[in-house]
Amino acid sequence: MTITEANEEHALLELRNICKYFGNVTALENITTRVEAGKVTCVLGDNGAGKSTFIKILSGVHQPSSGEYTMYGSPVHFTTPRDARNAGIAAVFQDLALAPLLSIWRNFFLGVEPMHAGILMRTAFMKKTAKEEMAKMGIDLRDVDQPVGTLSGGERQSVAIARAVYFGARVLILDEPTSALGVKQSGVVLKYTRAAADRGLGVIFITHNPNHAIPVGDRFLLLNRGHSLGDFAKDEISRTELTRLMAGGAELEQLEHEIGIR
Amino acid sequence: MTATDVEVSEEPVSEPPPVPLDERISHRGPMRRWLISPEIGALIGAVIVWAFFWGNGRTFGEADTTLNWLDVAAPTGIMATAVALLMIGGEFDLSSGVMTGATAIQIGLFSRYFMGDGVNIGWAIGSAFLAAAAVGWFNGYMVNKTGLPSFIVTLASFFTLRGVMLVISKRLVGKVQVDQITEQKGAKFFKDWIAHEWKFTEFGIRDNLFLALVIAGGAAFIYGLLEQSFIRRAALNLAGFGLTAVGVIGSATGFAGLLWTEGVGQNALFGVIAGAGAVLAIAGTALARWQGRTSTGGATALPRDAAQRLGLGIACVALACLLPIPFDRRQGLAILSWTSPGLRPVVAVVAAIAGAALAVRAMLSQMSEKKNAASWGKLGLFALYSGILVTTLAICFLQLTTVQALRAIGMLLLAGAGLTFMMLARGIAGRSSKRWQLIIGLLVAAAVLVLAFVIRADSGAVRFRTGMFGAMMIGAMAIVANTLVEYLMEKRTHADADADRLGKRLQLIGGGAAFLGLIIRLVWSNLTPEHAAQVKAAGGSVGQNVLRQTVVWWLIVAAIGSYVLVKTRWGNWIFAVGGNKEAARAVGVPANQVKVGLFVTVSLCGCLAGTLIALRYGTVQANQGTGLEFEYIIAAVVGGCLLTGGYGSVIGAGLGSAIMAISVVGVQTTPWNSDGRFAFLGGVLLLAVLVNNFIRKKAQEAR
Repeated sequence: MTITEANEEHALLELRNICKYFGNVTALENITTRVEAGKVTCVLGDNGAGKSTFIKILSGVHQPSSGEYTMYGSPVHFTTPRDARNAGIAAVFQDLALAPLLSIWRNFFLGVEPMHAGILMRTAFMKKTAKEEMAKMGIDLRDVDQPVGTLSGGERQSVAIARAVYFGARVLILDEPTSALGVKQSGVVLKYTRAAADRGLGVIFITHNPNHAIPVGDRFLLLNRGHSLGDFAKDEISRTELTRLMAGGAELEQLEHEIGIR
Repeated sequence: MTATDVEVSEEPVSEPPPVPLDERISHRGPMRRWLISPEIGALIGAVIVWAFFWGNGRTFGEADTTLNWLDVAAPTGIMATAVALLMIGGEFDLSSGVMTGATAIQIGLFSRYFMGDGVNIGWAIGSAFLAAAAVGWFNGYMVNKTGLPSFIVTLASFFTLRGVMLVISKRLVGKVQVDQITEQKGAKFFKDWIAHEWKFTEFGIRDNLFLALVIAGGAAFIYGLLEQSFIRRAALNLAGFGLTAVGVIGSATGFAGLLWTEGVGQNALFGVIAGAGAVLAIAGTALARWQGRTSTGGATALPRDAAQRLGLGIACVALACLLPIPFDRRQGLAILSWTSPGLRPVVAVVAAIAGAALAVRAMLSQMSEKKNAASWGKLGLFALYSGILVTTLAICFLQLTTVQALRAIGMLLLAGAGLTFMMLARGIAGRSSKRWQLIIGLLVAAAVLVLAFVIRADSGAVRFRTGMFGAMMIGAMAIVANTLVEYLMEKRTHADADADRLGKRLQLIGGGAAFLGLIIRLVWSNLTPEHAAQVKAAGGSVGQNVLRQTVVWWLIVAAIGSYVLVKTRWGNWIFAVGGNKEAARAVGVPANQVKVGLFVTVSLCGCLAGTLIALRYGTVQANQGTGLEFEYIIAAVVGGCLLTGGYGSVIGAGLGSAIMAISVVGVQTTPWNSDGRFAFLGGVLLLAVLVNNFIRKKAQEAR
C-alpha cells in the first residue's frame, strides 16, 4: 500500500506545541512530535500523563487549545471523530469498539456495510473479505460467523486493527493495545502493529510499558503529568535511558531513596 | 538497540505467507452449526408443547384448532417481532401492550365522534398510526436524551396512555369501552381489506400430499446433511447404490403394506420392513457417494464419564417406563384433590424435606468459614422457609393439574432426560471409540422403541397410541440410520465449499417442502361436505376453519423483521447498538436514530395490532392490552433474545408467541383445569430460558 500524495518534505502527521486546558487544569502542554508513514511513534507515559487526552486530540474528540496540528504539512481542524476518520486517522480504543456478541464479519464491516442496491448486505463478500483481511494479519479464523467475544484479547485487537487498515486508514492510533494482555498475546499484537506500519501506515502506539514500545517504535514521545519529557527518534535515545525516563526518572530515584531500596 | 527489534522485523509482511491450517481447529458439522442458532430452543419447545397437546387434547391438531391458535398467536406475534428487535437493540417498551388498546380506542372514537359524527374509519386508522409513531418517537427521544433506563421512561408512557384512554372514553362514551366500531363509515371496506376472514374448506388429497412432501423433503434434507458431513468419493460405489435400491424397494413395500393392511401383526411386520428399508437406503446412499471409514478408533474401554451418563440415562428411561404404575388410570379425569387419603401427607413431607434439603445444601457451601450458633439459626430458619415454600408450590401444582397431566409430564421429563444422557454418552464415547458409539447409538434406538411401546400400552389418548407411536418408531429408525452412517463413514474435518453449498441448498429445499406439507396437513381439513354433514347429523361439531388476515399480517411483519435483522445494515446496527452502544457509535453507527427507529417500530406494530383488534371485535375495552407487554417480552425471551440486548432472533420470537398460544388453546381442548395453564406457561418459560442459556454458552465456548 502506498500513499501517493505523500509529500516527501512533510511528515504524515506533525504536532507542534500542542496544549490542552480543561478550565484550570493543564492536560497537555507544549507537546511536539511527528508521525511518518511506515513508522511507529510510541507515546509513553504513566497513568495521568496525558496519553488519553493526546489521542483524543489526534482523533478529533477534543480540539487543541493551542498549537499546530498538520497533516502532510497543511493544518487540520477536526471537530468530530468522523472528520478524523474521513481524513484517514483511525483510533483503536481500549474497549475496541467491537460488539462482543456480534459475529466477526458483522463487526468488521460495522457502520460501513457494503450493500447491494442499498438494501441487501453483501454477506458473502463481507465474510470472504473479513477472513482474508484477518489472514493478512496472520490469523486463521475458524469461522467468521463466531462472535467476537469468543476471540482472545490479542485476536480481538487484530480484528480492530485489520478493520482500520482495510478501510484505508493512513494513521492508526492504538490505545494501550497490550495493557490487558499476557506476554505471548502482547507479542502477537506487537507483530501486527509492526505489520501495519510495514504496510505503509503511520502508527501511534500508546503504552506505559517501555518493553513493548522499544521493539516496535521508531520514535518515542514521553509524557509525564501533561508535559513532554522529550521526543526522540530511535537512534537518539538508548534503551536504558528510555526505561529510566519512563520509569519516572528522578522521581523513581526519590522513591527508592524514600523506601530504602539500594 | 538492534537486538530488541528482531522479534518483529524478520517477517516479510508485504506479502503474507499462506496461513497454515490450525490443527486445533476442527470443522463444525452441519448439526452443530444449526444447534447453536438462537431460535433452536424455542423451536424444540414449540414442537414439544404442540406434541404434548396433540397427544392429550381431543381436537388439537385438527384444522380448526390450528387456525384457532394461529389466530391467538398472531397479535402477540406481530408485537413480539417488534419487541424482539427492540430487545436486541438493548431496550424495553412497557407501553407496547397498552399501545394496542390505545390505538384501537382512538380508531373507535375518531370514527364515531370526531367532528361531531365521526369520520371515515380510514382517517381514524391513519391518525392512530401517526399518534403511535409520535409516542414511539417520544419514548426513544426520552431514552436517548435522559439516558434513563427504558423501563422507567416507557412505564411513564404506559400509565399516561392508560389514564388518557380511561378519561377520554368515559368522557365521550360514558362507559369504559368503545363499541360499534365496525358499524362506522368505511369499516366494511377496511375489514375486507385489512382484517379479512377466509373460510378454509376441505382438501381431499391433503394427507397424500402431506406424506409425499414430507418424504421427498425429508430425503432431500438427509442427503444434504450427508453431503455436509462426509468426504466425497472420487468414484461412485455401485454396490452402495444397489443397497440403496434394495432399501427403497423394501421401504416402499413396507409402507404400502402398512397402508393396505389392518391387522396388528401384519402392521408390525410391514412397519419393520419399511423401517429397515429406509435405514438400508440411507446407509447405501452414504456408502455409494462418500468415503467409508478405514479405522474404527483404537481404545476399547468405555470412558468413565460416558459410562456414568449411559447408566444415568438408562436409569431415567427405566423410571419413565415404570412411572405409569403408581397412577391409577381410571382416575384420569379427577383432579388430584387435597383430601385424597394417603397421598396428602406423603407429598407434603416429601416436598418439605426436599425444599429444606436444597436450602441446607445451598447454605452449607457458603458457610464453610464461620459455623457459630447464629449462622446455624439462620440456616434453620432458611431451611424451614424453603420447606414451607416448596410444599406450598407443590400443593398449588397438585391442585391445578390432574393425575394424567402429572404422569404425562413426569414421563416426558424422565424420558427426555434419559435419552439426552444417553446421547451425551454416545457423543463422549464416539470421541475415543467408534465401536462404543455404535453400541450406545443402538441402545438409544432401543430405548426409544421401548418407550414407544410403553406409551402405546399406557396412554389413554388415541393419538398417543397411534401417531406418537409411529413418530417414535420413525425416530428410532432415524437414530439407527444416523449411528450406522457415523460408524461407517469418515467425518469431514475440513470445509468443502461446493459440498457445503449443495448440502445447504438441499436442506433448505427439503426443509421447505416438509414444512409446506406440514402446513397443508395442519391448516386444511380433510372433511368432505358429505362427511361433514354426517358428523353434524350425528350431533358432532364441525370446525369453523376460519383463517383471519391477522395471521397473514403476522407472517408479513415477521418476515420483514427477520429480513431486516439478518440481511440489512440496519439489522447489523441493531445488534451492535444492543451489544455495545459506545462501540457502535465509535464506528459511525447512528445509535440514537437506531433506538428511536426501534421504539417507533414497536409503536407502529402496536397500532397495527390495535387496528386489527378494533376491526375484528368492533368493541374495545378501555383496559385492552394492559399487561400484554409482558407476554411480548416473554415471547421474545423464549425465542432466544438476550434480556441485556445484542443477541436474538425474530423467528424465535414468533415461535415464542406460538408456544404461548398453543398452550392457551391446547389446554382448552384437554379435560384438564385450564387454570393450570399459567403454571404450565411459567414452566415452559423457565425451561426455554435454561435451554437458551445452555445453547448460548455452547455457542460462546467450543468453537
